[in-house]
Amino acid sequence: MNFALVSLSIPLFTGLLLLMIPRYGGPWVVLSSTLSLAAAVASLVEVVDSGNQAVLLGGWPELLAIRLHLEPINALLLAFTALIQLLVSLYWSRNCRNDGFWALASLLHATLAALWLSGDLFNWYVTLELLSLVSVSMVALAGKDSIKPALNYLFLSLLASLCYLLGVAIIYGRYGVLDFQILSRMTVGDTSTAMAMLLMTLGLMVKGALWPLHLWLPPAHSRAPTAVSALLSALVVKGPLFILTLLWTRMAPMELTDKGGEFLAVMGVFALLVGGWCSFRTPLLKEMVAYSTVAQLGYVMLALGLMLQWQLRETLVALWLFVLAHGLAKTSMFLAAGEMQRIFGNKRVTALRGASQTAPVAMFAFAVAGGSLIGLPPSGGFLAKWLLLEPLFYDLQRWPLAFAVLLSTLVSAAYVFRIVTLAFDRAERGQAPSRDRVSEWLALLPALLVWGMALVSEPLILWLTRVAQ
Amino acid sequence: MMGGPWLFDIALGVLLVVLAIASIHARNLYAGVVMFISFGLVAALTWTYLGAPDLALAEAAISAGLTGVLLFAALARIGNTGSTPFTPRRLPALLCLAVAGLLMVTLWPLARNPSVLPGMAMANLPRTGVDNPVTGVLLNFRAWDTLLELAVLLVALLGSRGLRPTPEEEPVPWPLLTAWSRLLVPLLTLFGGYLLWRGGNWPGGAFQAGAMLAAGAVLLRLNGLLPEVAWRNPVVRGLTIAGLALFATIAALTAWLGDGWLNYPPGTDNALMMLIEIIATLSIATVLTLLVAGNKTELEP
Repeated sequence: MNFALVSLSIPLFTGLLLLMIPRYGGPWVVLSSTLSLAAAVASLVEVVDSGNQAVLLGGWPELLAIRLHLEPINALLLAFTALIQLLVSLYWSRNCRNDGFWALASLLHATLAALWLSGDLFNWYVTLELLSLVSVSMVALAGKDSIKPALNYLFLSLLASLCYLLGVAIIYGRYGVLDFQILSRMTVGDTSTAMAMLLMTLGLMVKGALWPLHLWLPPAHSRAPTAVSALLSALVVKGPLFILTLLWTRMAPMELTDKGGEFLAVMGVFALLVGGWCSFRTPLLKEMVAYSTVAQLGYVMLALGLMLQWQLRETLVALWLFVLAHGLAKTSMFLAAGEMQRIFGNKRVTALRGASQTAPVAMFAFAVAGGSLIGLPPSGGFLAKWLLLEPLFYDLQRWPLAFAVLLSTLVSAAYVFRIVTLAFDRAERGQAPSRDRVSEWLALLPALLVWGMALVSEPLILWLTRVAQ
Repeated sequence: MMGGPWLFDIALGVLLVVLAIASIHARNLYAGVVMFISFGLVAALTWTYLGAPDLALAEAAISAGLTGVLLFAALARIGNTGSTPFTPRRLPALLCLAVAGLLMVTLWPLARNPSVLPGMAMANLPRTGVDNPVTGVLLNFRAWDTLLELAVLLVALLGSRGLRPTPEEEPVPWPLLTAWSRLLVPLLTLFGGYLLWRGGNWPGGAFQAGAMLAAGAVLLRLNGLLPEVAWRNPVVRGLTIAGLALFATIAALTAWLGDGWLNYPPGTDNALMMLIEIIATLSIATVLTLLVAGNKTELEP
């Protein structure tokens, strides 16, 4: 547990230090996320070796204390957060123009670590609140254009917080407990529990931008500075999703899981198709990437829904794989999109005509990340999608869902190839744009990692099957 | 069965709803803000009546007091225009009623569900080093929540700076107010200190005390009696993060050298909690002052 707490403390103290002395932010954050990554990996090794750990804060008895718990999944997410933070800060320390970014990024990292480790409904509320406020502040870093999306994001996520808090209050009123682990043994399927689950689910769906409550996401993610977009899409939406998954897989009473699963699966399918279509139609490059996040979150919802409806454990593995693969691919895609936007000085998709000749590495990063989003083998996205599809084929009754997944693959191929074909057009003759080779390669790095996931696919899947509950 | 207490219950409940509606549908924004502040005060009264004086103090100081000041500051920038006039709309009203009804149905059966937690908290209270259960919960049983809440406050300040509000004109100090503030501020400081010191044993604590100090600072700033409070001043920045930094340092040290994260060593509980409260009060006061009366011109890029 101590390694996990070190992994949380390092970014927290770095953030405070950078608020005090806002200089050399980039190097500091790169250093702190490297150290935090090392600590997270150590905690992962520790938890794999010696099993799940929990600590009651302050040494108080159960119920009274806040419980922090460390399981392989939490430790994995902890390491994943630090890794994404490291990749993004490596890229952004070459391009950052606003020193305010670094302190906020560190605080974001610490907040996410606190969220992964927490095991208490109210403590989750506090971390969610902190997460939203940090994200809104980071979106607003982009200046005048981003203020309206940032404020919309703030108001919607405050509403969502209240929804979640009301749900927690009802749970507390009904069971008198906030500790997640104890609650998961206590819940029964009565009206108050159903209402509480509904309220918490709605709140988390707004925060996690799950269709149809995603409307704040595309403007906020596309107007934010590039590094912020990458962090928001890769990490921040996964926080509420993590809580949602835990709530439904462990705490929801049996009577509710069936209905809840059906609802989430249907919403997931809509997210895939509608989000994909919007992504295909939008004229702006970063908005296209942002809509693709909405679509990709549909897979996660679908996986969760299937798990609840048919008790398919493979889909839970698929869910975590989606989280990892989407995080890495989206980081790369946003960084590449931001890089090209900077090179061409234009926000529109049409500006990319001939990008394969004028900005080959960035375009390559974009296409490689897109390949994982489509689910082309051998990438992380393919692994996750295959695991999701496999159980769907076994049963004739589930074929419509399998068909929806295949159709959504087609849609995601459409929005990625729309860019790629444009990029392979002949470039207009003119002055060669100024490129920064190092930052193009840094944008490519996460995409290479997501394809690298395929190299370790078998142990990864076996291990996740063992630890995902 | 319509005895005195019931009448008071109903009067408070109705008053709250009426003030809430009035603050939304007032004829102009100024009236709306006044209604909102009254709403906060009646809510504070309700908390007192329900036996939660800590909440009442926080509600009065932060929700009615400082939020009111923030709303007035916003009003000064946009001018006292009319708000949306009240037009009865059936669909939203029906929807609200349906949601309210559903919530009532859900919440009604919970009224008689006793929780074991309050009893446990009271039984373990002597071991926390304080006598006030609220302080015990905030700074010992659930100290981790409070630590993160301090971070929330800090990030709220950073976020509001990021939104770059337009600087307002410095108002000309009003002689009577200047004279009064010289009298009021020492009293506010004294009262803030009293709330802080009392917090260990009776209702009160860092948040309320911080709000009092901030009210004093804002009053002085508005009268031009206090030098400008600017983020670029390292002392101001230091004060802002001191509470969170101290709390996190204590957490890290207890995990490293002691028995665990935020597990205060026996015998030092009271001293550590008092130290955290004092520094947190200063931090909260600085953050709130910066939010309300901070220097806005330095925000321009």
